[in-house]
Amino acid sequence: MSLVARYLERNGIPTVVMGAAKDIVEWAGVPRFLFSDFPLGNSCGKPHEPDTQRFTLDLALKVLESAIGPRTTVQSPLRWTEDGDWKNDYNNLERMPPEEVAKRRAEFDKVKQVALSQRKQAGVA
Amino acid sequence: MVDTTDFAPEFDAPLEYMRRTREYYLALGYDNPYRWAHYTDAPFTPLKKPLKDSTLALISTAAPYQPDKGDQGPGALYNAAAKFYTVYSGDTSQDHDTRISHIGYDRKHTTAKDSNTWFPLPLMREFAREGRFKLAARFHGAPTNRSQRVTLETDAPEILARCRQDQVDAALLVPT
Repeated sequence: MSLVARYLERNGIPTVVMGAAKDIVEWAGVPRFLFSDFPLGNSCGKPHEPDTQRFTLDLALKVLESAIGPRTTVQSPLRWTEDGDWKNDYNNLERMPPEEVAKRRAEFDKVKQVALSQRKQAGVA
Repeated sequence: MVDTTDFAPEFDAPLEYMRRTREYYLALGYDNPYRWAHYTDAPFTPLKKPLKDSTLALISTAAPYQPDKGDQGPGALYNAAAKFYTVYSGDTSQDHDTRISHIGYDRKHTTAKDSNTWFPLPLMREFAREGRFKLAARFHGAPTNRSQRVTLETDAPEILARCRQDQVDAALLVPT
């Protein structure tokens, strides 16, 4: 998605990215970025909380309007949880028993096959 | 409020997704790590007119729900079959059922029950009604198919062309 933001921006369309993977978006380098420190899938606010969703979109628009140069990142002040412990869970091997790793390896092999055959079918492999 | 020396724990910082993902897939026996797009520069185009007079387009990585493509509901495992491979667009005056089962989102902490957390079209309509901006006639779906070359050479130009057809002045991009 960062690649699309860069492409549009370079071709005259100002952009703002609303995202939750700070390192990945900044690694690419985008013009404007509103970062929410939330689990992936919640770039636009918390589920069933119209107030946090409205706050987040409003902030993204303010970033779009006010950024003075590229690589502008603003971090939303909203917190997912008080303790932030969710960050220790995402694909964290240290929290996974060996059986779980083995199960995921088998699942991943299947997913890879599906994705590859789809890419071939779509002509993008 | 006053700052004290009672600092936040070390782990409580933006998650290092690239490092975490690299280590995870190595442990899964996949030794060909994904190379994330990386540039040292970034382009910048100022808004040409006030936001309230600008036409804003939503660009999303969410997929349209495809009933024949397996479980795409809340709690669904990663579903590569639900991916899409060409840019799609939708009428912003209508509601759309979009899903994220084709993306590696946080399966533990994200419920994926409220699409407003990844597809803010209903809220954008409200903002547009309130006069904050003009909502473009269409939103656009950007494929996430692991081929950065296809993104750069096919999908991004296609999204630009569609934005131009709709006289778009600015874009809000929501990756999942």
